[in-house]
Amino acid sequence: MSATPLLELRGIDKSFGPVQVLRNVDFAVYPGEVTALVGDNGAGKSTLVKCISGIYPTDGGQFFFEGQPVTVNGPRDAAGLGIEVVYQDLALCDNLDIVQNMFLGREKRNGIVLDEATMEQLAGETLAGLSVRTVKSLRQHVSSLSGGQRQTVAIAKAVLWNSKLVILDEPTAALGVAQTAQVLELVRRLADRGLAVVLISHNMNDVFAVSDRIAALYLGRMAAQVKASEINHSQIVELITAGRSGDLGLPPENGAENGAEQAVTVTPGAPQ
Amino acid sequence: MRAGPSQEEVRRQNLGALLRYVHVHGATTRTELTSTLGLNRSTIGALTADLAAAGLVREGAPRETGRAGRPSLVVRPESDRVYAYALSIGVDQLRAARVGLGGRLLDQRGMTRPRGLGIVETVPLLAAFVKEMHESVPLDSVYVGGGVAVAGMVRREDGMVRLSPNTGWSDEPVADVLSAQLGWDRPFAVGNVADLSALAEHVRGVAVDSDNLIYVYGDVGIGAGIIAGGRPLSGHGGYGGEVGHMAVNPAGQRCGCGSRGCWESEIGEHALLRAAGRERLSGPDAVLTVVDAAARGDAMAQAAVRQVGDWLGFGVANLVNIFNPDTVIFGGTLRHVYIASAAQVRSRLNAMALAACREHVRLRTPKLGDDAALLGAAELAFEQLLSDPLDAAP
Repeated sequence: MSATPLLELRGIDKSFGPVQVLRNVDFAVYPGEVTALVGDNGAGKSTLVKCISGIYPTDGGQFFFEGQPVTVNGPRDAAGLGIEVVYQDLALCDNLDIVQNMFLGREKRNGIVLDEATMEQLAGETLAGLSVRTVKSLRQHVSSLSGGQRQTVAIAKAVLWNSKLVILDEPTAALGVAQTAQVLELVRRLADRGLAVVLISHNMNDVFAVSDRIAALYLGRMAAQVKASEINHSQIVELITAGRSGDLGLPPENGAENGAEQAVTVTPGAPQ
Repeated sequence: MRAGPSQEEVRRQNLGALLRYVHVHGATTRTELTSTLGLNRSTIGALTADLAAAGLVREGAPRETGRAGRPSLVVRPESDRVYAYALSIGVDQLRAARVGLGGRLLDQRGMTRPRGLGIVETVPLLAAFVKEMHESVPLDSVYVGGGVAVAGMVRREDGMVRLSPNTGWSDEPVADVLSAQLGWDRPFAVGNVADLSALAEHVRGVAVDSDNLIYVYGDVGIGAGIIAGGRPLSGHGGYGGEVGHMAVNPAGQRCGCGSRGCWESEIGEHALLRAAGRERLSGPDAVLTVVDAAARGDAMAQAAVRQVGDWLGFGVANLVNIFNPDTVIFGGTLRHVYIASAAQVRSRLNAMALAACREHVRLRTPKLGDDAALLGAAELAFEQLLSDPLDAAP
C-alpha cells in the first residue's frame, strides 16, 4: 500500500507523576490500512490514543502527519488534522436523534437557525456512503438503537468530518455475532475507502479479520509493529504477554535494564 | 484476412461500452463518460441519444454541483423500466427478484427451501414468484431476460444442472423447465451460485478494484467462483471452481461425492456442527448458533470454530499458492466462520502460502451479502443486452 505513513509517532514518552506509561514509543499508521493496536490491560493503548487525539500532552517525542512534523496541543489540533476517535462508551446522547448526534457541537447553521435539512442530507449521505442499511430513520432517537447500530452511528459521526484517521476503541465489545460482523465490515470499508484506521481490540479474531498491520504494546513500549501477512496468532500472544517472540519484539537486555531481570525473557512454551 | 471492424461494429461496441458503464457505475456525467471511454463529446452525445431512444438510458440535469459553469448532463440507466428476473436456488433458500438495469432490486420474493425438495417441486415455486411479481410490473417496462443461480454444477453450453450432491439432483434442465412453466421464449441463463456471487462482488461489491479474486461460498457444500485476470475461470465444461472437493485430508471423513477428506468435509456445515457436538442440527442458523456460543465462551464451540478455521486457512493457502489472488471473499455461512476464526485462518495461511503469493492478498467478507447470487444472476441476464444494446432491446 502507501509508503508514507499518514501519521507517524517517534519516541513518544509519557509519564503520570513517577509512573512512566509510554516509553520511547514509535507508531506508524498508513492510509487505506487498518492498524490494530493490541496489548494487555495497562500496556498503554488508551494513553497512546489519548496522546494522538491531543487529550494528553506528551513529555517527549515527535509527531509527523503526512510526512510533515506537527504539534498536537489539544483535541482541536487533532480534529483539525482529521483525527477522530470513537471511544468505547461512544459518547452519544440517548435523548437526541441520529442527525443531532452526528452534528452535536458542530451544527450547521443557516443564519441564526439550524440548517436541519442540510444536516439530515449530509448524515444520510454519510451513512449511505458507508453502505449502512440497518438504520431505518435518521430521526430515530439513539436510545431506540441496538448496540451495533449505535456503534455504526458513532463511526459515521467520526467519518462525517472528512477525517483522515479514525481510531476505534474496542468497537465490537459486547456485540452479538451478526452485529460484530457488520461493525468489522464497516471498519474494513473505512480503510478500503482510503482512510487510515486504528483498531484497538482484545479479540484476536477481530484483529486478524480486518487488520493489515498489528502493533503490540508491552508495558508502555512498542514491542513490534508487523504486517498481518507475516505473523501468526501465537506470536502476537507472546508479544502481548512477554514483549517478544523469537526474533520479534523487545530485546532481552531492555528487560534487565528495567529491573525485571529474567522475568521478561521467560516466554510461554508455545510453539513459534 | 479480414478488414478492420466495420463502422456498424464500432458503433455497437461503443453503445455496449457506454451502457455497461452506466449499468455498473450508475448516473454518470457526459464529461466523465467522455474521458473514461476515450470518445469525443459528440460521439458520446450521439450514442446517448440512440440509447435514450431505445429507452435504455435517460438524460437529466445533475444535482447542484456548487461550481461555476453550465453543468454537464447526467446519463442514468432506466432502472425502473428495463429489468430482468433473477432467481436463486440455494440449499436452504429459494429466491426470486426483479432487478432493474444498474443492479437495483425492484421487487423480491423468497422462502426457505426444505432440504430434499427436488427440482420438480422448486421450479413451480420460483415460476409462481415470477408470475406474482410480473403482475405488478408497470406497463411501459421492458423485460430483457432472466438468470438463475444454482447451488450445483452447471454445464456452460446449455445451462444443464449436473450432479448437485447437496440438493440431490442429477442432470436437470432447470432453464427449460422454467421456460416451459412460464411459457416465455426468452431463455433463462443458468450459472453456479459461487461463480455468480463472485461476478456480482466483482461488478458492484467488495472486489470492484480487483481482477484476481476467489469467492469461496459455503453452506453444506463449498464452492468457489474464480476470476483471474478479470475473466471468470470456468474450465472446459463450466464446472471449474469445485474447491470443496479439493482433497486436503487423506485421513478425513468420507465426502458426499464418494471421495475422502475433501475440503468441504473439513469446513462445511456438517464438519462444524459435528466438532461442536451438535450433529443433530443443520442449516445456517445452526452454524450461527455455534459461532455465537463460541463468542460467549462455550469451550466446545470455540474448539470447533478454531478447528474449522484452521482447515479453512489450509485450503485458502492452497488456493493462494495456485491462483495468487489479490482478494479472497468468504460468503454464505463462511462469512461468520471466517470472522470468528480469522486468527487461525491467517496464521495457517501465513504458515503455508508462499510469501510472494500471499503478500498482497486481502481477506474479505461480501459487501452484497446474500443478495450477491441474485445480482450475479441478473448480470447474466443483462449480458446479452450489454453486448449489443440496440439489437437485444425489444
